[in-house]
Amino acid sequence: MGVGEMPLEAQAFPGASQDRELVASCRTGDPGAFARLVRLHEGMVFNLAARLLGDPEEARDVAQEVFLQVYRMLGRFEARSTLKTWIYRIAVNQCHNRRRFWHRRGRDRQEALDEGVAGRARGAAEGAGSSPFEEVRRRERARCVQAALLELSFEHRSVLVLREVEGLTCGEVARALGVPEGTVKSRLSRAREAMRLRLLGRVEEGQTS
Amino acid sequence: MTCARVRRRLSEWLDAELEPSVAHAVSSHLSECADCARRAEELRAVSGLLAGLPRLAAAEPVAPGVLERLEIEAEERRPALAVLFRGFAAARPFMLPSLAPAALVLVGVLAGVLALDPGPLPEVHLAPGAWSAVPASGTEGNPLFPSDGIDLPREMAALDLSPEVLAGQGEGSVFVETVVARDGSVAGVTVLQGDADGEAPLLEALRQQRYTPVRYRGRPVAVSVYRLISRMEVRSPRI
Repeated sequence: MGVGEMPLEAQAFPGASQDRELVASCRTGDPGAFARLVRLHEGMVFNLAARLLGDPEEARDVAQEVFLQVYRMLGRFEARSTLKTWIYRIAVNQCHNRRRFWHRRGRDRQEALDEGVAGRARGAAEGAGSSPFEEVRRRERARCVQAALLELSFEHRSVLVLREVEGLTCGEVARALGVPEGTVKSRLSRAREAMRLRLLGRVEEGQTS
Repeated sequence: MTCARVRRRLSEWLDAELEPSVAHAVSSHLSECADCARRAEELRAVSGLLAGLPRLAAAEPVAPGVLERLEIEAEERRPALAVLFRGFAAARPFMLPSLAPAALVLVGVLAGVLALDPGPLPEVHLAPGAWSAVPASGTEGNPLFPSDGIDLPREMAALDLSPEVLAGQGEGSVFVETVVARDGSVAGVTVLQGDADGEAPLLEALRQQRYTPVRYRGRPVAVSVYRLISRMEVRSPRI
């Protein structure tokens, strides 16, 4: 995780008391409060959906659905988990439903993600001297990793994205997926091994080409 | 510890989730076994690659679209749902418990009349959002209820709501307007709210509907029928 993103992370995931205040404001019908909630969390929801679905347009659509559902279910939020984890859970469910919908339609649409969007920001954070070659290599590596991710089952992909990409703890992943922590650990172990086997050849090719 | 047992524990070892004694045993094995040590390094590299993925950002912010849709929903649902749910529950008090737990399909008909025939008949278009603006039933300004000589159109056959027809719907709702022509056939179906994509089977089923022709003051008229078709996941993501 880039150093340059730290303040954003800290701002995007406020503590439990801030969660409660924000949710309470939304429940009282404060129109600005829900807008604030969406703006705080839309980045993480889009990133999660884009990584799970591999399609930026679908990810944006799902992100909208996620927040509509968040709005409708705010009354059920009981602060037993953080607002972030609760939203992650809704987002994973929405992505899962979308995948099943594609599956029923016999469609598996994926459009290439623009790995350069945040890659440029990362490059800037890591040092302005990164060469065009470095930039291309970084993109190619991200493309390989994303392609390998999409080959995994949804179960394995979601546990990996939440743990490794979003940086949740095993406990948080368990709450976000609604499964016991032991299940998360065993899924994580199998998912990492599946990813290792898929990435061994690919990333080396990407780096040497 | 054997290689196989160590490899099963590597993921937790990398996450520092093992008991200290087990973690120590794994570490000792790795210091002696080159193959397992390489495997551990590869798994660490996999984690690094995933963590190094750039964060993706939507081309346009999500918030404005969400707020706009909520505004539209609030505007359209306020009058429509109040009438719809009251009618549904009152008319079928014993139906709710028998609904399948996985999916609940609510169909309501909110009727308004669109008098397409110009002339002495008043031209009134009762839009969902305009409910509160409509004068009380039975008054001169709102002569559109059964008490005032007009029957609501009746479906000749129930709408097909089989799983195939509803397959396009996720958990969302779709609010549609059906214009019933003077002869009872469907002149058009418009999605007023909801995602029209993927709803083709449902819209086609709505187009195939036939109604009893509606007469007002002895003259056939076209009417608009509003329906909200919702499919709700009962499963709750409460944590």
